[in-house]
Amino acid sequence: MKINRIKACYALLGVLLLLLILMNILTGSSSMTMGEALRILFSHDTVSKFGKIIWDIRMPRILAAALLGGALSVSGFLLQTFFANPIAGPYILGISSGAKLVVACTMVFALTRGMMVHSVVMIIAAVAGSLAVTGVILIISDKVRSMSVLIVCGVMVGYICSAVTEFLVTFADDSNIVNLHNWSQGSFSAVSWDNIRVITVFVVISVISAFMLSKPMTAFQMGEQYARSVGVNIKSFRVFLIALSSILSATVTAFAGPISFVGIAVPHLIRSVTTTSKPIVMIPQCFLGGAVFCLFCDMLARNLFAPTEISISTMTAVFGAPVVIMMLIRRKAR
Amino acid sequence: MASALRTEKLNTGYDRRVVVAGVEIDIHQGEIVTLIGPNGAGKSTVLKTVAGQLMPLGGTVYINEREASDYPASEVSKYRAVMLTERMSSEQMTCGEVVSLGRYPYTGKLGILSENDRRIVTGSMELVHVTDLADRDYHAISDGQRQRVLLARAICQEPRLMILDEPTSYLDIRHKLEFLDLLRSLVRDRGIGVIMSMHELELAHMVSDRVVCITSEGRIQCTGTPEEVFTDELISRLYGLENGRLKELYADFVDNLRSKQ
Repeated sequence: MKINRIKACYALLGVLLLLLILMNILTGSSSMTMGEALRILFSHDTVSKFGKIIWDIRMPRILAAALLGGALSVSGFLLQTFFANPIAGPYILGISSGAKLVVACTMVFALTRGMMVHSVVMIIAAVAGSLAVTGVILIISDKVRSMSVLIVCGVMVGYICSAVTEFLVTFADDSNIVNLHNWSQGSFSAVSWDNIRVITVFVVISVISAFMLSKPMTAFQMGEQYARSVGVNIKSFRVFLIALSSILSATVTAFAGPISFVGIAVPHLIRSVTTTSKPIVMIPQCFLGGAVFCLFCDMLARNLFAPTEISISTMTAVFGAPVVIMMLIRRKAR
Repeated sequence: MASALRTEKLNTGYDRRVVVAGVEIDIHQGEIVTLIGPNGAGKSTVLKTVAGQLMPLGGTVYINEREASDYPASEVSKYRAVMLTERMSSEQMTCGEVVSLGRYPYTGKLGILSENDRRIVTGSMELVHVTDLADRDYHAISDGQRQRVLLARAICQEPRLMILDEPTSYLDIRHKLEFLDLLRSLVRDRGIGVIMSMHELELAHMVSDRVVCITSEGRIQCTGTPEEVFTDELISRLYGLENGRLKELYADFVDNLRSKQ
């Protein structure tokens, strides 16, 4: 029965989440025992060497990976619902790259004038970039009915934005540019506790709002006309959907840079396990699934070739892209 | 019987361009009214307008004796259910889930079904004989089954009015007949008024209480019982056929069938 699969999926995700949080706490350049880690966690020891490592470095990074991974995956699900296509996602449609471009502009502008950029400003810049690209995508989707053409256009727009960003990063003359370069490749490493607070506010509010839209979303999945016939205000519903998915993916890009494929791969995996696409199930499960997926990828990114760190987007691509390819093949085969 | 749908001097069309003008329809509960006419005459436009998908370009639509624009958005779907020719693209959706969405107007903020909702969903699926499809993927069933599932969804909305756009177009003759028999007995039993469009004249003749003819110029040529409308002369004029062609096709066809029995 379906309801059992859904429960099993919740249980599985819950266990994996706890396990990965623990493993991310324990692993790294300086390893510690389980007992030590638990003592530090429960005694709020922030002064010892290991205490500093856990509370100042690993915990914020774990929270960032979990919250932002979840946000990305929910954002992907919202876009898939909007475009009625399971291949839609913030990265593939170029939305993440648009956010990256505007954030990079903002940072270069601020850094060359010796100003610090507040995290809320970063999010606003990223949302502006996301919405600009989304606008372009919507105009294209109005002109072409074919979903694959739309996706290719999205990829192209993404390339253009990335090219301009590279250009900026290459020629921006500042020592801080090293940070900018790391960020533009995608990483959870630079997230501070202050950032986490802002991230939590944005992500939690957006995901709960998306969850509250589950009911009209279910009707919308049946088609626009049907949704209208049961009283969904299509115009404002679409605006909400786009706004929420943009805020979610923009928050990710603002703090961790562009991260590939999570938005498509995770919702697809969840759908395959639960065999449902009902938003009321999908939104919480996508959030958990995205958190698990990004914690897993970040753990590998940190440890696989330590002390060299791989960019998170590389890891998510390694695990996410094959999922997407499998999905495409199976859809064609059907 | 009370009126399920009534239109007064209704003009329908897109972007201020009138497609069908002066539509006057009055459908009582338990009655089936069918729109016929050539391709592009605007049958779908009329249906979309009374379904609330298009704004009327003039005149008034009354649902259940109350002006359609007077209903709050979520309220009108308790009276009006639609079955339009829209493809659903969402994956991983069972037929049971599709049907249960018909309870949309009655469920709370998150759309969770109550015990009563579930009973009505099960009941509707039994009525149209799709109970065994409940756990099947909506995309993995046949066209005939799909139309029945959509009918079940419309039924569990407990409407007074149902709007169907070419519900039988993609079905083979057996499934066409099955669907129409089912529709007719359902709407009679439950007192639902039906307005639908159709291309199959012989079936429209069989199932309808009244027929509305829309010409290719978007004019209502005539409205009446099937006996009044289905005359060689009226139908030939409606579809722009040479006199006698229709008889040649249909009458011979029907006579042939009879003689073989």
